[in-house]
Amino acid sequence: MSSDFGRIALEEAEKKGASYADIRVSEILNENLTVKNGEPEVISFSQQKGFGVRVIMNGAWGFAGSVDVTKEEIKKTVERAVGIARASALLKKKEVVLVREKAKKGKYATSFKKDPFKIPLEQKLDVLIQAGRILKEQSQLIKASYANYRGFRENKLFMSSEGAEINQQITWCGGGLSAIAVKGGEMQTRSYPSPFRGDFSTSGYEFFESLALVEHAKEVGQKLLKLFEAEKCPSGEMDLILHGDQLALQIHESCGHPTELDRALGTEADYAGTSFLTPEKLGKFRYGSEKVNIVANATLPKGLGTFGYDDEGTQAKEVCLIKEGIFVGYQTSRETAAELSLKESSGGMRADSPLALPIIRMTNINLLPGDWKAEEIIEDSKDGILITTNRSWSIDDRRINFQFGTEIGWRVKNGSKESMIKNPTYMGVTPQFWGSCDAVSKDDWKMWGTPNCGKGVPGQVIYVGHGCGTARFRKVHVGLIK
Amino acid sequence: MVTERLKEIAERAVQYAMKQKVDQAQASAFLVDDALTRFANSQIHQNVAQKSGGVSLKVILNKRISTIRVGTLEEEEIKKAVAEAVKIAKASSPNKEFKSLPEPEKWSPIKGAFDEETANCEPKYRAEKVKEAIETAHSKSPEVKAVAGYFSTGSMAYAVANSLGVSAWADISVAYMKTTVISKSGTSEGFGAREKYSRRIKDIEPSLLAEDAAEKSVKSLNPVKLNPGEYEVVLSPLAVSTLLTFTGFVGFSATAYQDGQSFVKYNLNQQVFDSKLTVKDDARDSKTLYTVPVDGEGVPKKTLELINNGFVSEKSICYNSFTAGKENKKSTGHAALPIGDYYGERSAPSNMIVKAGDATLEEIIKETKHGIFITAVHYVNPVEPTKVILTGLTRDGTFLIEKGEISKPIVNMRFTDSMLSAFKDIPMIGKQVEMLRITTVPMMKLKKLRFVGISAY
Repeated sequence: MSSDFGRIALEEAEKKGASYADIRVSEILNENLTVKNGEPEVISFSQQKGFGVRVIMNGAWGFAGSVDVTKEEIKKTVERAVGIARASALLKKKEVVLVREKAKKGKYATSFKKDPFKIPLEQKLDVLIQAGRILKEQSQLIKASYANYRGFRENKLFMSSEGAEINQQITWCGGGLSAIAVKGGEMQTRSYPSPFRGDFSTSGYEFFESLALVEHAKEVGQKLLKLFEAEKCPSGEMDLILHGDQLALQIHESCGHPTELDRALGTEADYAGTSFLTPEKLGKFRYGSEKVNIVANATLPKGLGTFGYDDEGTQAKEVCLIKEGIFVGYQTSRETAAELSLKESSGGMRADSPLALPIIRMTNINLLPGDWKAEEIIEDSKDGILITTNRSWSIDDRRINFQFGTEIGWRVKNGSKESMIKNPTYMGVTPQFWGSCDAVSKDDWKMWGTPNCGKGVPGQVIYVGHGCGTARFRKVHVGLIK
Repeated sequence: MVTERLKEIAERAVQYAMKQKVDQAQASAFLVDDALTRFANSQIHQNVAQKSGGVSLKVILNKRISTIRVGTLEEEEIKKAVAEAVKIAKASSPNKEFKSLPEPEKWSPIKGAFDEETANCEPKYRAEKVKEAIETAHSKSPEVKAVAGYFSTGSMAYAVANSLGVSAWADISVAYMKTTVISKSGTSEGFGAREKYSRRIKDIEPSLLAEDAAEKSVKSLNPVKLNPGEYEVVLSPLAVSTLLTFTGFVGFSATAYQDGQSFVKYNLNQQVFDSKLTVKDDARDSKTLYTVPVDGEGVPKKTLELINNGFVSEKSICYNSFTAGKENKKSTGHAALPIGDYYGERSAPSNMIVKAGDATLEEIIKETKHGIFITAVHYVNPVEPTKVILTGLTRDGTFLIEKGEISKPIVNMRFTDSMLSAFKDIPMIGKQVEMLRITTVPMMKLKKLRFVGISAY
């Protein structure tokens, strides 16, 4: 992307007296395909171009963005951002301070073997149609089958008045299957490889191919039908074994969000809420058992939250959040890092479009592998349930009390995986729950990608990753549906 | 006029597509100009503005459907997008269930939906109003420690045209403000919040919102724990709004109905809810926020009786032209609007208005011997859609009602219950309605709501 537009914005901001300015110019491509019951229902492409300018003026922030990438509009938008910053300054308690960051000049691109935007549409549709039809054909009870594909690419340029100039390209893709079946008024659903349109990775089309949707379609349908014959989820306190795709969401909601420093400092209090992990707890608070080690790692290849630099120009890095159960780190911006007198930003600032303001977002929040094999965890469990594939989720505004439900589960008794259970649900309190974690697997550890993390006002939706395997939690309250 | 420009763009895009010999084509052009001032810890921390616009194109060729969305209104880019949409349609596979884009129907614009002052509000005005809210909240009590919230002003406009002759448009201004007040006493933190939505900025009165939020916040300090179980509950309009929004999304969408996920499918022409509950979806009623005459396909928005004296029926379902075509019906005018990101076409109610009752808050509280007053619910999600089992937590001030009086604050609680059961017995409905996003609702007293857990604060 040309840096000419960026220079105009930075020069204009300087002329108007801004003490700091940055600009992101970007173009986002989205390919979104949905095949329902074997028929293509959504064949959608979108292309968004635009830019966003941040300025600090009179010690306060202003931001404005526009889709019109012309010299004239850039000047107008800088003026708008400066006007907004002046208004912000009317109500500031203290000046904005940013932690120091060496201005980088660089290029970065996520890697891929097969460019998803060069694969013919027919080829993608062929997979989805076949998989969708096989899934639907498994039974008349299946009312709807969905096969999904999504490809994403963002080309963006970041420039700052400190001298940064970074070009990045982020490419990801993926997809999945799901089906809904109804029998006698009872509804069940089954998804593969994970719910809410599938699994995604900063990879090329080879990742979508590796999901092998056509090969898995029959099994997905068969398991869905078996749910009607499955036992109800037992109710009471027992061992809970979470498979990776559900554990990923558990990490997301109960560790990812509460370790965002903007939440902990109260700036999300009006919407998603604050965090029980308040600053005085940093370095001292026991968040979980000694088995629990959680990091934010934006450098891991193929993670959906992987990039080269965040939207403040901070280079991607790995930051420890929970070390042997102790809360030791936050996800931060340059401004929030300065507020806690931290040495550097964790590099977590991202915006979901060129028109949106960057805010602290998760990168890849990973539960590091333990020393168990997934199979050994089951063999070691006397009375519990093993569950997978999220179906519902809810957590309070400080991220303490949560409830999750999944599509499917199995009773585990005396070391073996026994009968299937349906509508599993569980509830817990975050530090107690993670405190009861006594086994974490290593052999089935993998990255899961979700493109649907919502945060902020105005709302933004970003793509994040979670690496984990299987883990066991003791004495968890399960079976909450009457 | 913005709408005139958008209409021309949409109509021209359709002409370009038809020249390429497609069977049918539809174009919607939109422009959104929004600004938002956000505050926390009693100061502004985020202050943004964005101007976005674009065109969404749909072309149909031998039942092959393709959609392209471009974030620009530039003619050359739109021409390129049309060519790309045709190329994609050719490469696609036919959808046998597709019948047709909608035929034109009579429609008329809605007067008064757009307010110039709201659309063009300056950041200084918002900053002054935020200051007023913060100062008001702090003046209520020394226990008020921090004020957070947001104040947004802006406008959106769109025009839709198709090759069958549809040409329709809408423009609207929207202002909304939320104020959240955090108070402290020892180690206890109290929360209170209030929000207001309107098409006119002058209806937003920051000091009223701040006073109410501060009062709830201080009163919610030092809460006591209540055991989980079934309780009578008094729901504020905001709490009713959230529960109704989810019920509407999972219940009244044609996609959910056709997939077998909607409770309506299994309860046709039956009284599912209390006979006092009547809910319509009416985008032309001035009591609703998003008063737009046509949907994202240019079809006039029809008024639907979603719940009629507790009954649901086939008339409760919201259709766009595609889902309507599957059942050989006509669209009800509920296609998604062509703004925001495009991920699908789920049709759902967006102008739900609940028929008011005759009770005041004081009367409802007085008539409650032992119950819970819920001012807001948080992170609500469906657990089981066909029974509308929802889970979520109370937030921003939850209070115990004893012997007809609000007696004390309680620790936030988690509910997991079927809305079919919760709204089955509604002893009292408030006489005042509040406009809250896609709903216009009164407060309600429910005979029972099932709580399964408690939070830590």
